[in-house]
Amino acid sequence: MIGFLLDGLIAAGLVGLAYQAVTSRSLFRGIIHFVVFGLTMALAWARVGAPDLAMAEAAIGAGLTGALMLVAYRRLVEDRRDAPVDPGPAKSRLALPIAIGSGLLVGVIGLSALFSDVEPGQAGQAVLADLQQVDLGNPITGVLLLYRGIDTLLEVAVLLTAFLAARALAGSESGTGSPTTQGPETPMVGALLAVVIPLTVLVSVHLLRAGSYEPGGAFQAGAVLAGAGVLLILSGRIAAAETAGLLVRMGLLAGLVSFILIGLTPLLHGGPLLALPGLWAVYFIETAMMVSIAITLVLLFAGGGGLKRGKHG
Amino acid sequence: MTAEALALIVFLPLLAACAAVAFPGRWLGWIVRIGLLPLPVLMLAPTLAVLDQNVIHLALAGHASPLGIEWRLDPLSLLMLWLNVGITVLISLHAGVSFRPDSDRGQRFWPLWLILFASMNALVLSADLFNLYVTLELVTLAAIGLIAVESKPAALRAGMRYLLLALMASLLYLLGVGLIYGQTGTLDLYLIAEQIEPGWLPVTAMALMIVGLLIKSAVFPLHAWLPAAHGNAPGPVSAILSAMVVKVSIYMIWRLWFWGAAGWDLATAANLMGLLGAAAIVYGSLAALVQDRLKMIVAYSTVAQLGYLMLLFPLASTLAFQAASYHLLSHGLAKAAMFLAAANILSSVGTDRLQRLAGVDQRRPLDVFALALGGVSILGLPPSGGFVAKWLFLEAAWHQQAWGWLVLVAAGGLLAAAYLFRVLGVICLHPRKRLNRRQHREIPNLASVAALILAVSAIAAGFFSAPVLSLISAGLPPGVTP
Amino acid sequence: MDSLGLYVLAAAVLFGVGVYGLIVSEHLMRKLFAINIMGNAIFILLVAASGPVEGAPDPVPQALVLTGIVIAVSATAFALALMVRLYQETGQATLSSRDEGDDG
Repeated sequence: MIGFLLDGLIAAGLVGLAYQAVTSRSLFRGIIHFVVFGLTMALAWARVGAPDLAMAEAAIGAGLTGALMLVAYRRLVEDRRDAPVDPGPAKSRLALPIAIGSGLLVGVIGLSALFSDVEPGQAGQAVLADLQQVDLGNPITGVLLLYRGIDTLLEVAVLLTAFLAARALAGSESGTGSPTTQGPETPMVGALLAVVIPLTVLVSVHLLRAGSYEPGGAFQAGAVLAGAGVLLILSGRIAAAETAGLLVRMGLLAGLVSFILIGLTPLLHGGPLLALPGLWAVYFIETAMMVSIAITLVLLFAGGGGLKRGKHG
Repeated sequence: MTAEALALIVFLPLLAACAAVAFPGRWLGWIVRIGLLPLPVLMLAPTLAVLDQNVIHLALAGHASPLGIEWRLDPLSLLMLWLNVGITVLISLHAGVSFRPDSDRGQRFWPLWLILFASMNALVLSADLFNLYVTLELVTLAAIGLIAVESKPAALRAGMRYLLLALMASLLYLLGVGLIYGQTGTLDLYLIAEQIEPGWLPVTAMALMIVGLLIKSAVFPLHAWLPAAHGNAPGPVSAILSAMVVKVSIYMIWRLWFWGAAGWDLATAANLMGLLGAAAIVYGSLAALVQDRLKMIVAYSTVAQLGYLMLLFPLASTLAFQAASYHLLSHGLAKAAMFLAAANILSSVGTDRLQRLAGVDQRRPLDVFALALGGVSILGLPPSGGFVAKWLFLEAAWHQQAWGWLVLVAAGGLLAAAYLFRVLGVICLHPRKRLNRRQHREIPNLASVAALILAVSAIAAGFFSAPVLSLISAGLPPGVTP
Repeated sequence: MDSLGLYVLAAAVLFGVGVYGLIVSEHLMRKLFAINIMGNAIFILLVAASGPVEGAPDPVPQALVLTGIVIAVSATAFALALMVRLYQETGQATLSSRDEGDDG
């Protein structure tokens, strides 16, 4: 009963926060509502028994998306102080009926899917059966790397493409509105970073290792690691650069390239494409992906093609 | 051999894209060559294998579906693969001079170009509904990155509108995928046909996926984003967008419709799809007729020509399959040629407003010739590839006594003639009007040659149709008898 | 009704809110909020649409949603960059266009 009440609260909170995010007067408040919405969404995932999704949503959906939105907001505000940032909502008579109609449609679809009497998914059963032979406790990591590896490979490519496409846009005016905070350097910041950064790295390494047995994995770990990078940028330790140095470029590509190369090697001795040669390959690829995901997200946050030592670095 | 070749067809361009990001300096030109030029040779092994075995399955990671993901190569996907490889390599000739690899523009362009190429190859091969979603997202993001690569306001705005619509479309598709998985427990496109019956949830799932894909392929009335995006992108990007990017989502609809929902009674829905196609042909042609910019005319022509691909649904016979597949091929070649020629004219004259183009045939004869040859194929005059396709459409409609579709195909040709002759009339029939020479910018010959090769291929497709048509009839979906 | 049913209802309302936001919002960032909210609604349905396997939620749809979350953040990041660039070029972060027919 208490669980049901809690679920009710979370569901109501989701709806309220979503409504606030899309309608609130100030864009800034909208972003805050959106981030809190993401965190509530993470709670919801935890409640329906999907802790991997809860972590991913908290780290990626709420945390990093929110950070990217805030930095974009700041660039909007800084770039042209004269222009009105937000034209406010438009009036549309059709909006409400269309919204209610599509919500009803989705509700009917969702409820009938939920209550239609579905058999357990063949693919899911096959995953659990096959995992018995592999020393990998977390079925989701198994699906992502062993059984549907090409999805994950292409997903890393999607992230890289988003970065490349954003970098291609940056054009001549890149570097304006670096997200570094301008405040005076206090000794507290350095001391805090000395604690927080190693801690964040530890957490992400733990998440990565945990991913083979319990909830976690490369994406969650990469997002947490990116959080450390975001902190370093905000405190001026590192800053956006016009072009990427060799190390940054290697890190950016490590995940995709190692996945492709390891995936191609079985072909040399007649094995199937993308069949990973052992659990070491899973760990290796996951580590490389964590690094790449973190660097890509940090670069997207910094808004440049590369990274350099910042003015407080 | 086939497995290795297919792996390289997808991963070689992807690795080349990574290398292009890692070593952006003077090696870029060679990296691009290594990523593109071996592909036509690599295609030989899978081609021979399909001619031999008709359908090839490749279980990735050694796990067959439903546990894993399969690649599946059959005559239709082989055709798409060849089309993508051929058109991309030819357009790359043009891009090699308009986005020189040693320039800053080139360094931004080529990694995205290679990713777009690789992702379309991966899409065509994939037999998994969710993997198709991931590849389609990759195609969309790379394509929009390329549209906006020059950061012109009109292109940025068009790219943004395209992105928002594409994201919504993906969500609809994704919801459909989730419902299908819930109902069947598998994501393999070719397995679901055996598992589902047309109840209300499977029908809803199919409808959601198809509507999402119709948005992505800009079929009337969901076409609003296309002309601005295709008309404002850089030349090589417009060419690949019209020739391939919108086609791969229509290809997915064909797969869902004829293979995934094989055995369903879809007569009413098929007629609806055909009517959308008819509206696209009429509306797109009329809109092309009133545009005042050359690239916008070519873009609206794409809206119209996509309509023909929708006629496959109501006709659904061997002839119709041959017609639609051949239309896909010849339109791809012709439209790529026209966009490249239009881009050359635009960058040479500085504008592509039609009234400023009078007399451009004397300055850029090759480009105007390529434009005209492409136009011949679009409006379906013999002996072009477009003629073969339209003729097959007429024949298919005739055999089924579907007089409405027959009249539509004929009328569509006349409408295309109207907007294309308007363009050529303005350009060529001018009272001794001279372009201002000082405003004129020289562009390398290779750019025009690339357009011309594509245009000549579109015409040549009229002469070499027999092997392609017999290949297509070997790969018909279940239920369509040869 | 169990709690998953509750979240399916919430997903339906969220989808409606997303559609509403997409229509009434002029500012591109609000449109992105709306699309991400719609995306989350779809993710809930994805997990709810398939039955449990051996007592736990099916791992396959969860893996799909995880992939979907990463794709959503990628697309959002690119869309934000596009929005900022559009704003730098035109002074607008909306799609209300004035110069649609611009020369190539």
